[in-house]
Formats: sequence, C-alpha cells, structure tokens
Amino acid sequence: MSVARVTGRLYLALLLAFLLAPVVVVVLASLSTTSYLTVPPKGLTLRWFGEVLRNPEFLDAIATSLVLAAAATAGSLVLGTAAAYALVRRAVPGAAGVSAFLMAPLVFPGVVIGVALLQFYTQVGIAGSFAGLAAAHVVITVPYVVRAVMASLAGVDGSIEEAARVLGASPLTAFFTVTLPLVRPGLVSGGLFSFIISFDNVPVSIFLLNVRQTTLPVKIFTMVEYGVDPSVAAVSTLLIIATGLGLVLAERWTGFHKFV
Amino acid sequence: MNRRGLLLLTPAIVLLVVVFAAPVALMFPTSLRPYIPGQGIGEGWTAENYVKLVTDPFVLRVGARTIGLGFTVTLVTLVAGYPLAYVIARTRSRARPWLVVLVVFPLLLNLVVRSFGWIALLANRGLVNETLLALGVIDAPIRLMFNFTGLLVGLTHIFLPFMILVLAAAIHNIPAELEEASGTLGANRAVTFLTVTLPLSLPGILGGSILVFVLTISALVTPRLLGGPTYQVMSTMIYDQFVQLLDWPGGSAMAMALTAIVLLMIGFSSLLAARYRVRG
Repeated sequence: MSVARVTGRLYLALLLAFLLAPVVVVVLASLSTTSYLTVPPKGLTLRWFGEVLRNPEFLDAIATSLVLAAAATAGSLVLGTAAAYALVRRAVPGAAGVSAFLMAPLVFPGVVIGVALLQFYTQVGIAGSFAGLAAAHVVITVPYVVRAVMASLAGVDGSIEEAARVLGASPLTAFFTVTLPLVRPGLVSGGLFSFIISFDNVPVSIFLLNVRQTTLPVKIFTMVEYGVDPSVAAVSTLLIIATGLGLVLAERWTGFHKFV
Repeated sequence: MNRRGLLLLTPAIVLLVVVFAAPVALMFPTSLRPYIPGQGIGEGWTAENYVKLVTDPFVLRVGARTIGLGFTVTLVTLVAGYPLAYVIARTRSRARPWLVVLVVFPLLLNLVVRSFGWIALLANRGLVNETLLALGVIDAPIRLMFNFTGLLVGLTHIFLPFMILVLAAAIHNIPAELEEASGTLGANRAVTFLTVTLPLSLPGILGGSILVFVLTISALVTPRLLGGPTYQVMSTMIYDQFVQLLDWPGGSAMAMALTAIVLLMIGFSSLLAARYRVRG
C-alpha cells in the first residue's frame, strides 16, 4: 500500500471512530456495577436495564413519546401527502413560495418555535395540552413528508393516473389505487423520518409539556442536567439498540442509501 | 386557478400559519413590552429589550460566541467531512451502503444520548482525561467541558453527518468522466481536484455550510448539556429567559434576533446560489 492509501484509510478510521465514540461509551457505561457513571465499566451487570424497565417514570415517558410520534407521523403523512400532491400535480399559483413555506420549520430554530408556542398556547389557554404538543410536532415533521413524497411523485409518470381516469375511475379512486401505491417509497421514508424527528425532539417539546407528562428525551435531558447515573446510560443504550435495529431494517427494506 | 389543488394545500398551510408563523410573529409585540421582575410582562411599549441586545456586555459576549461557534463548526465539518463525502460519492465498493449507514446512524440517534456520551468522554473524570492521566501525558485533568472546546467537539459530532450527506450528493452529481478527462489531458490528481472537482462541488459546499451554520447557532440540547448553565449560547440564553427568569419580553427580543440572523443567512445563500446558477 502506498503512503497516500494508508493515510486515507487512517483518516477514514479516525473519522468513523469519532462518529461512533460517544455511542460506544454510553453502552459501556450502562454495564457498570458501580452506582456512579464510569468508563470503562467496573464489573459487568444488566441491573440498570432492570431498573429502567421497572421504573414507571421511564415507562410513562417512553409511552408518551411513542404515542406523540405516532400521532405526529399520522398527521404529517395526511397533510404532507395532500400538499405534495397538489404542488407536483396541480398547477397551484405560487407553488415555489408555498413549498418554501412548508419547508421553513426545517431550518427554523427549534427553540424559537418552542418559546413562540409556549406564549401562544398560554394566551389561548391550551398550555400543556397533548393536542397542542402534537400539532407542534406535525409542524416540525411535515417538511420531511412533503419533501420525500414530492421526490417520489416527480419520478412517477402522471399519465398513468390519467389513464385510470379515462378508464372510468373517480379522481379519489385513481389517487388511492394508482398514485398512492406508486409513491410508497416516499411515504415510507417520509414517515420514518417524521417518527424519528418527533420521537427525538427536545427544543420544542420542553416548552410545551405539563408537569405530569414528559417525553423520553426530555426526561433524559433533565436527568443529565442534574447529574448522571448508569440508569440514564441504560435507557440511552435501549434507544441506541432501537435506533440501530430500525436503521438496519430500513436499509434492508428500502435500501435508503440509494436516496442519499 | 385550480380549486382542488388549493383545497389539498389548505390544511397544511392553515396548520403552519396557526401553529408556526402567527405564534412566531406574535413574539414581536411581546419583545417591545417592558419586563417587570417578579410579575412578567408589563404595560406600555419600550425598545429597551433590543437596546440591551446591543449594549449588555454579557449578551454581546454570548452572541459573539454563538456566531464564532457557528463559523468554527462549519469550517471543521467541511474540512473533515469532504474526503469521506468524496469516498461515499465515488466508491464502487460493496461496503458503500454500510459506510452510509455508519454516517447516518449517529445522525438518527437521539441528540440527548449523543451529548450524554460526550459528557462521559470529556468530563474531568471522563474517559479522555483518565486515559491521558494514566498515560502520564497530563498531571491534572484538563477542562474539556463547559468551554468552547466542549461545544466545538459536541456540535461538530452532531452536524458532521449533515455536511457529509450534502457534500456526497453534490459530488455524486459531478460526472466522473470530467475527472477522467482532466487526468487524460495530463493533470495530476491534485490539480484535477483543485480545478475540476472542488469548483464543481461549490453548490454543495455552500448548501452544506449554510445548513450547518444555521443548525449550530440554533442548537439547544448539546450546548446546554456540554456548556452547563454558565457557558451560554443564544439558544440556552433564550431558554433561561423563558423558563428560569420568566422574562418573556427579553427572551422574545433574543428569539427575534436569532431568527433574523438565520433568515439573513438563508437569504444570503439563496442570492449566492442564484448568482452561481446564472454564471454556471
């Protein structure tokens, strides 16, 4: 191997190590028998995982996060697919401006959306409500669906749908039986991203939760702020395993690296 | 006019106006209200919250630090990410999908978890300090958290995958034949890179840089966890204004300032991109 090749390999290895280091450290920390956080772990135990799974606060937070992410994804899929279809297939006036507006939450500071909604919800009297939180999560996830479905639609020949119409299908039938199945890759990747973005969100959620209800990332966030113990590492490890499994399955099913 | 098209767009637009645009706009009047300690929003109108933004030394320092972090993180992710982006865009190896997965995995992994991992690495008794102490490189733990270093490391880790994916897409769009032609015409690989690949990937460099800059100056979780309550950036300062001090007018003014910076950067990049397209 030449010097350049060795340098190249070394750089790749270092960069991947940098990307994965905090992940490995969290997993190792969750296995320590000590009651304080230490890496490398002293002794090996799965005790902290048991503590997490028996702790009702963690279980409630996980349930809240899952329900919230499912609601946000469902809402985003409906609103986002309708909007993407209109933008690609119908000659709507000002389509470029509209799609820029729908994409805006992608680059808008999350903390600004969070505090703006905290003030707005307080003024209209729905502060701390689950509906308000879910609506906010639809706002931050809908761009992912719009983008993915628009990309999918652009690759589908519009004349297939017209053919269905000519053969007597109503606009709705044509959409649901012809167009929708053809844009399934967009729906899957948009929905997947929505779910992850919603499940992970802290900057918006943290301002909108009430005292009795918290999501998993916000719970971990507040725990880490006030000092850490191995149960935080254990619940984080569970998240790492879930994310990893989801990613491998998604790659197997959709081959998403092709979209990258 | 296409009525059915508008009908399909209406729900999404209404939601974004009611739950996003209007609430953000409503922060502007709040930012012009006086703040009464212990009570919150006062009566009457004042510009004092904005005056404070440009005169208060603490606020100015936090603002400068935020912008400085934005530029540094952007530069580091660009330089460190470009070669990997190039490999992902050009390799024909069977390992490519898994390379992409390795880059995407940290991106999808929860932000709080990743910041927590960096705490375990960078704390005074963290893995990095313990290792250096054990090796005898240092005599006392060095401060890697609650300062610029900690935030730079954590934020670079978070935004490196974004930069790599944007750059890889841009490089992928450059026909490989152009590089081959340059080689055939006698340019060595360095010259080919500097005169062909790099200039043609400028749109990706611009897009990735603006994205990483905007996301860095907006980040809340990582700066809070790695900077603690004392080493503040604009986002954490806004968070404290709203949650700890209950100074909504002051916090709203800061939120308006952060929004203005983000919108200015995006406007600036659209202008540049438009010019590039005209020339290109």
